[in-house]
Amino acid sequence: MKMIWLVAKTTYRQRIRSWTFLFLTFGLPLIMVVAGAVPVLTEFRGDIPVIGYVDQTAQMADLEEIKVEGETASLISYPTQEFAKKGFQQGEVGGYLIIPENYFQGGAPMYYGENEPNTKIEAALEKLVRVGFLSDTPSWAVERVQTPANITFIAQKTGQRVSEGPALILRVGTPIFLALVFILTIFTGATQMGSVVVLEKDQRAMEVVVTSISPTELVSGKVLGMTLLSLTQVGVWIIAAVLAVLLLFLDDLAGHALSIPWGSLLWAALLGIPGYFLFALVGAGLGIIAGDAEQARQLAGMLGFVGLAPMYFLGVIVKALDGPLAVGLTLFPFTAPTIGLFRLALTDVPLWQLGGSFLTLMVCLGISVWFVSRIFRATMLMYGQKLKPQEIFRAFSELRSAG
Amino acid sequence: MADNGKVLDVKHIAKQFGDVQAVKDVSFSVGKGEIFGLLGPNGAGKTTTIRAALDIIKPTSGEIQILGGKMTEDKKSRIGYLPEERGLYDEMTLLDTLVYLGQLKGLDKATALKRSEAYLKKVDLWEVRDRKNQALSQGMAQKAQFVAGTMHEPELIIIDEPFSGLDPVNTRIIKRLLYEMRDRGAGIIMSTHQMHQVEEMCSRILLINRGEGVLYGPLEEIRSQFRSNAVEVDLQGQLDDVDGVEQLSPRDGGYRMLLGEGVAAEDILQRLVSNPAVTVERFERVEVSLDEIFVKVVSGAGDQIEEGVVE
Repeated sequence: MKMIWLVAKTTYRQRIRSWTFLFLTFGLPLIMVVAGAVPVLTEFRGDIPVIGYVDQTAQMADLEEIKVEGETASLISYPTQEFAKKGFQQGEVGGYLIIPENYFQGGAPMYYGENEPNTKIEAALEKLVRVGFLSDTPSWAVERVQTPANITFIAQKTGQRVSEGPALILRVGTPIFLALVFILTIFTGATQMGSVVVLEKDQRAMEVVVTSISPTELVSGKVLGMTLLSLTQVGVWIIAAVLAVLLLFLDDLAGHALSIPWGSLLWAALLGIPGYFLFALVGAGLGIIAGDAEQARQLAGMLGFVGLAPMYFLGVIVKALDGPLAVGLTLFPFTAPTIGLFRLALTDVPLWQLGGSFLTLMVCLGISVWFVSRIFRATMLMYGQKLKPQEIFRAFSELRSAG
Repeated sequence: MADNGKVLDVKHIAKQFGDVQAVKDVSFSVGKGEIFGLLGPNGAGKTTTIRAALDIIKPTSGEIQILGGKMTEDKKSRIGYLPEERGLYDEMTLLDTLVYLGQLKGLDKATALKRSEAYLKKVDLWEVRDRKNQALSQGMAQKAQFVAGTMHEPELIIIDEPFSGLDPVNTRIIKRLLYEMRDRGAGIIMSTHQMHQVEEMCSRILLINRGEGVLYGPLEEIRSQFRSNAVEVDLQGQLDDVDGVEQLSPRDGGYRMLLGEGVAAEDILQRLVSNPAVTVERFERVEVSLDEIFVKVVSGAGDQIEEGVVE
């Protein structure tokens, strides 16, 4: 174990300083935040112009202003669309809303403006339509109607309480987010294992290392190092995601009793970490078979495809969350982390299924360590050669016959 | 501790890769405190023999006793190895690499650091300790790899071409370290094509050809088998061929001749003197070089001699 840890630590230190790791860990979330935040910030930054409106139903109150997100929007009521249009052309209003005569039969209001309205204008228009028809309603009732109730759902079977709104989003969103993070780490971490092994061979340090420690220690150490690296990456991404959510939605979250979904986090760790190990080991095995960096990259693409496979089944699984396909893929080691977490988000997954996933993962992991170590030992000195299946079989036979 | 003073005992090993018989039958042993030469032409089976001895590959048949028994994980820290295919981690600094490899050989971090520093000073690499390995010159990398393979002060050291790429100054540094290790009691197996280094450093040798041991024993004993078979001649004139001479090598002012089996030096002298095209100025019986023995044996001319020497 000491040697495995030493190899892991050295692999971790070597890779954490690499430009690729730093870019993927810090650059990628930054780009995503910037890409997501810029349009949102642009939207919120717009002003609310004076808004005109024409009430063809003749049921609305005559409003002069309306409060939206802390700002006051001035309103001008026009008797007809022609007057409103004239007011718009003369610059009296920035746009005008026509509430059609058949509004109560399903007719859609129309807004005419210079450009597409920003979110503030949209909010003002929605409020105008809602509040405008409540002229006879007491102000306290109007206020309550404008703040819809969050319903708390209580499951009689489990006693679990979930409130609508941020709490529900947190409960459902956490496992889905973690499943997506798992897939992402397969691409950014496990698929790199092949290159790590090829590099070890390319740099010709292999023979010295395997006369110091066993191939199992070397492979396990490399995989552990890469796993720790991916956990670091995931940690940074999760912290960034939490900070982003807090910064963007701090106002919306205020007053809500949020609880950390420990169950999802626990299963994410129990299925995700061994699941990652499994993909990393297979990645290492493919690297050994590939022989050179180019081939390793191509085979890594196949591994990424397997990592992404649960997404293809998602449509079918959502339709039957407890169906045979969903249960089967939850128990299958290569899809267990992703499908397990997706199902956790949407339904109550029986404990035996989650426990079964964990067990099959661990068994598969043990077999993979055994297999990859042996294939590594049998072929580690074949520098720069892509192995054919018969060569792998022959190398294995020689190992077995020689004891 | 090794049994009976032997750090390695290889008995009749063979190794087959598919249809290729890389090693047919090789036996030898190496004792404590000796430098042993493992020789042979390219593809003879030297590297396969070394890898089998180190348990990197399993022999198809035969027996190997290393440090008194079968190879175990624990014994790896008592063995030093500088392979033919060698390299260092490009992105790591030299000092970090040595500390890491030293730890893999069972040294604790503090000792690995201390030894790395001491050896880097010994091989004149202290100034470049913080340089990345990829920025080291070929000679620097060669010395660094030697340090990586031996800094844990093992009982058995196996080195493949330790002097390739080294200038005379650095060759001398590595030689001095090898002598130090031998004097400390380590058994050293040196595989090389540089025959003059073997002549200077090794007490015993094994010559492998086509997967078989063809010449094995103390260097002096092997030389004595060939002693009467070489002469040096200074003469005026030109020689193309001489009856009874297997190798005719021009040298300054004359020739060096390796005589065929059963050919007496006196007969050759007689032939030269009676040749009107040349005038003999000096004729001297000399010791055969290892290089000549190598060529003679490998080219198949030494069948009778090898029978007397190979165990």
